[in-house]
This record gives sequence, C-alpha cells and structure tokens, in this order.
Amino acid sequence: MTVATQRSGGGGYVERSGGGGSSGLADVIELILDKGLVIDVFVRVSVVGIEILTIDARIVVASVDTFLRFAEATNRLDLYGKGKGGTDLPGLVQGVSEAGAKGKTSGVLEAAVEKVEDALSSRREREEAPRRRPRQRPREQEDE
Amino acid sequence: MSATYVYGVVSADAALPEGLRGLGPSGRVALATHGRVGAVVGDVPLDRPLGTRDDLTTHESVVDTVAGVTTILPMRFPAVVEEQGVVDELLAPNEEYFLDALADLEGRVQFALKGRYEQDVVLREVIEDDDQIRALHERVRDLPEDASYYDRVKLGELVVAALEQRRDIDAAELYERLENVTANVAPHTPANPEDVIDAAFLVDRNAVDAFEEAVEALGQANAGRIRLRLLGPLAPYDFVDA
Repeated sequence: MTVATQRSGGGGYVERSGGGGSSGLADVIELILDKGLVIDVFVRVSVVGIEILTIDARIVVASVDTFLRFAEATNRLDLYGKGKGGTDLPGLVQGVSEAGAKGKTSGVLEAAVEKVEDALSSRREREEAPRRRPRQRPREQEDE
Repeated sequence: MSATYVYGVVSADAALPEGLRGLGPSGRVALATHGRVGAVVGDVPLDRPLGTRDDLTTHESVVDTVAGVTTILPMRFPAVVEEQGVVDELLAPNEEYFLDALADLEGRVQFALKGRYEQDVVLREVIEDDDQIRALHERVRDLPEDASYYDRVKLGELVVAALEQRRDIDAAELYERLENVTANVAPHTPANPEDVIDAAFLVDRNAVDAFEEAVEALGQANAGRIRLRLLGPLAPYDFVDA
C-alpha cells in the first residue's frame, strides 16, 4: 500500500521512502508517538511499553561516550597516509559509523518493540540492548 | 458499548481509499461522521494490550494511505474511545476546531527530510580546518589509549562542537533552498552530532514535484558530503496541534 513512491525521474541522490506502510519502524515511531492530535476524552487503554518508548526516542546523547566515539572516529582517519590510524581498528569502523545516537536509539526501539511483541518485557532487559558501559546514563535514572 | 480505535479526523465527505486494513481483529476501517467532519475508525483488539510493531505500522499505514488521497488530521498513537464517544465526545464538541485545522491543511502533505554527514569526509574537514583539533588529534594518535583518556574526551568535545557549527551553516542553506517550494516548515533539533537536518515540510500537493526536484538537486549538490533521506508524502503530523 505504497503511496506515490514510484517516481521515474530523479537521479537517486536522495534515499526515499513513502508513507503508508513502507517506512522503517524507527521513522514510524517518531511520527505517530510524538505527534498528532490528543484529545482528552481518550480512554486510557492498556498499552505496553509506549510511554517508555517515547522517552527513549527523545534521548539525545551528549556525553563523554559521544565525545569518545568521535575521538575514535577522528583517530582512525589516517590523514597523512602514515601513523597508526585506521588499519589496526577494523572492528571499530562499523561500530563508529553506525553508532550515531540515532542509530543506537533506533536499535533500542527495535529491541524494545520486539520485546513488547513477546509481551511484557521488563525495562531492565531492554537496558542490555545497546552495548555501552554501565556508567550514569540518563535513561537509567529515569527508569529506576 | 465497545472500544473504538481512531486513526484520524477527515472531512465528512472524504472518500476512504480501498483496501485499508486496520489493527483490530476485523481489520475493518470505516468513516464515522458528524456534521461536516468524520473520524477514521476501526475496532480494537481486546485480548491484548496495544503497542506491537504491527500496531504501530498499521496505524501509520492507515493514516498515511488516507493522506495520499485526502487531508487527515492524524491522532497520536494510540487513540481509543468508547463507540458513542466518537461522535458525542470527539467530533461534535470539536467540529469547528477540526474544520479549521482541516481547512488550513487542505491540499497539503508533509515530507520529512533528514540529512546526515558522511562522517569521514566531514571529520577530515574539521581536522584540517582547526589547529587545536589537529594538534590534539596528532597527540592522541601517538599515545597509548590509557594515557590519552582526557585528551580524547577533549578532542571529541571539540569535534562535536565543530560539527554543530558546520551544521548550522549547512542546514541554513538547505532550508533556504527549499523555502520557495514549501508552505511551512517544522525544524527539529537533530539528535546526533553528525546529523545536519531533521525537519518536516508542509508542501502543496501541486508543488510536490517541484519540492522533490529541489530535494533531489540538494542531494546531488551535496553528494559525498551529506546524505539526504526523504520520507513522504505523509499526513501532516508535525502541523496539527497536539
């Protein structure tokens, strides 16, 4: 049920997805949980995990972890074709390029929704989804 | 007395597209009208809480498929009312408000645009343009990891600040180039240091081609440096008052 995504022209410089069911889960969550009409007559239905998901989606990581991630990213750039930049850190490359807070958050969301599907996950399980040091993170404080 | 799921609010004379499938057990999606407004409604699963991946994507799918053919005010997920409440409590008391909102958005759709730097490219720029960052970068490279912790934190902090500075300039350019093909814009603060833009644009249906071409041109002009992602056409999620 894709709406008007077929477009012939266009050189493909922009990644496209239409609405109507063709979007990724992270995009969908951003659209429908955070925005839209809320009218006070709505019944409080039983909803699993949604409140928590909304909070997670808003987390903006501006922390030491972020700084270290970018330091590592610059570190592996071998600007002058010498030194110990990139080659000895193959594992890091993918981690860094995908570990934007967004990527991470999406990962958390995916994980969370999977859990919801399995019904009634505890918050703690979801905590383990991203691989990060168990230092003070805003999410943990909110969750306790 | 049964619970009804509400996807969104449309004009009473709106024709729903064929083949909509809702998130309730019957899959039914219908229009419940009152006066000049209508609610796009369906049934609700009673044997489980809402919130599965399918529930979320089905809600979006219904709303945005309707948005493909007519103006819809999307409800925030999940919206459930008693059956009588759809008219008595949702449509009737808010008819004027909904009519105004629908009129404002008539003939318009939303697009979401996201842009992200190609990390290596922009990090190179940052290092080359800033003496302090370059010096720190070189020092950190020559130190063992244990010995450079604070330098690395400082380096990362400077890099993130430099990225955000660049973002301001690049995003301003993107917004400016799209201004004359859009009716409104809702900018969001990007969640990530390497994100350039995260914004919703309201676009007249008859300007959609021009808008898409403008975005494509920006994608081409920034190829290799900024990766753009365009989502839509969508319901005007960012342009209804919560």
